[in-house]
Amino acid sequence: MRRRPSANPPLSDLGTLLQVLWQFLSLSLFSLGGGNTLLAEYHHLAVAQFCWLSNAQFADLYALAEAAPGPSSMLVGLLGLGASWREGPLWALLTAYGAEAAILLPSTLLMVAACLSWKRLEHSPWRVAFERGMGPITLGILFAVGLKILRTADTNAPGVVVSLVVCVLMLRTRLSPLWFMAVAGVLGGLGVINR
Amino acid sequence: MRRANCRLIPISCMTEPAAAAPPIPLAPPPSLVQLFWGMLQVALSAFGGGLSAWSQRIVVEQRRWMTNEQFLTGLTVARLFPGPNQINMAVYIGADFHGLAGALVALAGMLLLPFTLLMAVGLAYFQFHGIPSVDRVLAGVVAAAAGMALSMGFKILDQYWSDRVALLLAAGVFLALTVLHVRLIPVVLVAGPLAMAWYWPRHPASP
Repeated sequence: MRRRPSANPPLSDLGTLLQVLWQFLSLSLFSLGGGNTLLAEYHHLAVAQFCWLSNAQFADLYALAEAAPGPSSMLVGLLGLGASWREGPLWALLTAYGAEAAILLPSTLLMVAACLSWKRLEHSPWRVAFERGMGPITLGILFAVGLKILRTADTNAPGVVVSLVVCVLMLRTRLSPLWFMAVAGVLGGLGVINR
Repeated sequence: MRRANCRLIPISCMTEPAAAAPPIPLAPPPSLVQLFWGMLQVALSAFGGGLSAWSQRIVVEQRRWMTNEQFLTGLTVARLFPGPNQINMAVYIGADFHGLAGALVALAGMLLLPFTLLMAVGLAYFQFHGIPSVDRVLAGVVAAAAGMALSMGFKILDQYWSDRVALLLAAGVFLALTVLHVRLIPVVLVAGPLAMAWYWPRHPASP
């Protein structure tokens, strides 16, 4: 199954795999505001630091994860898939499941602890300060993430206009985002939007 | 099983006198297998979207594992703590009944089908993304997805509009990430404690 060797360290190297898992494990507890705050970090890991994916591939995978049913944090699985795709599909799937488990494990353990001790936490000043304090930080991160994804998408002018229109429609209407993606997909197929 | 009793007692006392509807008794606590199937049903029903509405419908109304109040408490906790909200909600429901084992089973039930499906799509993507027509369609879809990402910040901007300090904090975080290219973890580790100190409840009675 081995493909031709490349400049990047292959993930079949146990050390590299552990390094990847460690990166996701340590990001887990920083997924404030529902998980989307980590998108720019995922981009940094996958495109800049480890070179698993090109910019365009990252944008594609983000779009696929958004279009698919289920929580959008499943993007991490796709990144794992991309990370070891050149090692063959079986190893890629293994890495995908490993990466998803790594990103979910720490936040899950914390959540279990929170559920079991919520009675004590509920009125603690720590909880109040955490809830109020993390809100503005999440706000700042989400704007940075939005800008990062827009730059990563790197489409032509009509594409940017579509992005802006979709942004407004997301805020003003309750239409399913799948409609926006379908229409934009057609525009892409017709060649109106390209990159 | 230990939790079975304490889950059933509060119903009568938790129901406010104003609530005219007679309290529907909760079902017995689900076993691990039932938890798994319940979460699988939630994931299946939500294939068109609306995961959290579906989990409320199934967990509270159909299966009657929790009262609505218990569910809403869970939602509060799920939103407060790090991690994807819907996944945290599954973890909360599972942990409430069976601790860590319940949490992992609920998580597996919630993720198994959508994740497997997405991985199949992912494998197809890596196989076929080189085809020009596929790439052209994807370029369009990506433009729409970028618009969705852009809307996330605006969605929660309203609630901070009147709070100067919150806007200042958000702007600082934004600039650190985009202009200074600081990574997320150090930004949160510095800004987090500052924000918590500022918002520390000074009057315990204030809301």
